[in-house]
Amino acid sequence: MNWSLLASSYGAVFGNVQVLLMTFLGALGGVLLGAIPGMTATMGVALLIPFSFGMDLIPSIGLLLGIYCGGMYGGSISAILIHAPGTPAAAATLLDGYPMCQKGQAGKALSVAMFSSFVGGVIGALIMTFLSPIIADMAMNFGPGEMFMLAVFGLSVIVAISGKSIAKGLVSAFFGMLLCTVGLDPTNGIPRFITYKQTGLLEGFQFIPTLIGLFAVAEVIAGVERIIRGEEKQESSHEKITNVLPDWQTIKQIWPNILSGGIIGTFIGAIPGAGGDIAVFVSYGFNKSLSKHPELWGTGIPNGVASTESANNGCSGGAMIPLLSLGVPGDSVTAILLGAFIMKGIQPGPMMYISELPTVYKVFAALMLANLAMLVVGCLGVRFFAKIVSVEKKMLYPIILVISLLGAFSINKNVFDVGVCVVFGIIGWLMNKYEFPLSPILLALILGPMCEKNFVRYMNIQRGNFFAIFTSPIAMVFLVVAVATILFSIYKQSKINKREAAHKAAQKAQ
Amino acid sequence: MKKTKTQAFANLIGSLIFIALGAWALTQTYSFQEVKNTYVQAAVFPQIMCVGMLIFAIILLIQSIIKLMTMDENDPLAEPAASINFIKDRGVLAALFVMLLCVLFVMFFKSLGYVICGAVLCFVIMVLIGKRNWLQMALVSILVPLGMWLVFYKVLTVNIPMGPLQFLRDLVDMI
Repeated sequence: MNWSLLASSYGAVFGNVQVLLMTFLGALGGVLLGAIPGMTATMGVALLIPFSFGMDLIPSIGLLLGIYCGGMYGGSISAILIHAPGTPAAAATLLDGYPMCQKGQAGKALSVAMFSSFVGGVIGALIMTFLSPIIADMAMNFGPGEMFMLAVFGLSVIVAISGKSIAKGLVSAFFGMLLCTVGLDPTNGIPRFITYKQTGLLEGFQFIPTLIGLFAVAEVIAGVERIIRGEEKQESSHEKITNVLPDWQTIKQIWPNILSGGIIGTFIGAIPGAGGDIAVFVSYGFNKSLSKHPELWGTGIPNGVASTESANNGCSGGAMIPLLSLGVPGDSVTAILLGAFIMKGIQPGPMMYISELPTVYKVFAALMLANLAMLVVGCLGVRFFAKIVSVEKKMLYPIILVISLLGAFSINKNVFDVGVCVVFGIIGWLMNKYEFPLSPILLALILGPMCEKNFVRYMNIQRGNFFAIFTSPIAMVFLVVAVATILFSIYKQSKINKREAAHKAAQKAQ
Repeated sequence: MKKTKTQAFANLIGSLIFIALGAWALTQTYSFQEVKNTYVQAAVFPQIMCVGMLIFAIILLIQSIIKLMTMDENDPLAEPAASINFIKDRGVLAALFVMLLCVLFVMFFKSLGYVICGAVLCFVIMVLIGKRNWLQMALVSILVPLGMWLVFYKVLTVNIPMGPLQFLRDLVDMI
């Protein structure tokens, strides 16, 4: 590591007004775009890349990284406030973020999300700076078998997020996985559960309209029902936000979750094809399993928000590792960034560390700056965002519905997706009513396609010999951890159920 | 309380629905086209998912039956299940009405455009849930879809159907 070059690169980035301005503008745009359900960080980067054409490399990378980091945090705003994750990477944030909002702690949830995003992003940037060649080598050992086992490990989290009934959670998860198989088979293009005439479903159910339907539309329908019954409470609009950052007590409570989330996010982000949407659930399940009070997870605790938000921002650093070290983008945003590098005449890859080392260090510094910019924008906006919950529910629900349906349309500019969103809204409402958890469906929708694609690839490479997977050490580690997670979660859940039943019986006896 | 109104009974009905769905999907997979020289046919993965869903739905069914036979009034599953009886429950009726409005929104989205459909949807839901400040309702119903359209059209360059309000696009382009 060339320390003096690293220091001078940081100086060049942090002392350049154009880089500062572009990064802050990017972060602002990213936060606002990410907060709109249906608009992802990828779309934000893709939309704004033309603006970077005329700039030098580092200001343009600063702009794009600002959008990337801002978008990751922005997704949590709508997840916390209106139960509709702005981006897939914020999907797990609603598990605890929205209950916190319902308890009148929207401001606290937002500040925890922002702080965790920042620290997670910094962890990712630091790991990227110091360990990128080593991690890139590790990530390149991931073949289809390892990716399949990573997906299986991710799916093992379902047991941890199933709630009271594991059977119900698993039914929901298999239902979600079954939904992923609708459309054309990814390997041979064979139609499944559809005909070629049903063009809207050829690519299956689109993830974002399904997500918006299951969570936002279902919540609006349930909210209208509660208002008519007189059960809806107006959330306190008087939550005092004295500090835009979490207090010391909260930070002490959440720091292990932030740390582990940041590390998990960085490592998962570094694996090409695995992104923030997977990392958040892995981090959530991991942190819940290790918690002394797993029964509180999902009821609105800052630990849940911290574990997911640090993971998705950690991913931004992780995804840059294979991009810079190997020239392989870790996710769709870094794929666009790869294009930006090439446009400027720089080819990312192993040679970049030799021929363009100052540029590499400036990119490290730009990522750090992007996280800082996201924190500043978040701090400035947290009071404003928190005010959204004080809007009268009778006005808020119709507004959420109108915005959500537009978000569903905007992905593919397809009315069919709006229909899908409405249908899943109805399914989500019914499943919520009868306490079939929706989070396992969400996880299944994210991991199902990855699981199937890699399973099929692996089987074709190994000529049908699935058991060859037991010779891969990485795959075995994931399998062992997955089995341990499942067993541990079942044990913990049975303890929680027994404790709750005893508590209820005692309450009735009194 | 009648056992048919408990959460355990609702679980039983839910498990039966998923069993029916799983069984139907499994039978469908046998009609999927097969490809030569491949180790995993298109039907394999859906079949695994169907079998998984059937297994856990059957476990849920058995759990529910045992609960219905053995539970006492202190059991959490003996609590009343949520209702979907729209005749007795005005809340459910309102929820169904919102669903109907959403379906109409989808049906008329292309012909009437987002702004008109969104404004009507927003206004009717506000009326339904008892908001009566007409000026505020009218302003919110018009300005929110209009504002969102403007953001998506100008900032995010997403082309959204405008129906009879197509002239707004030309107007904005002119400005």
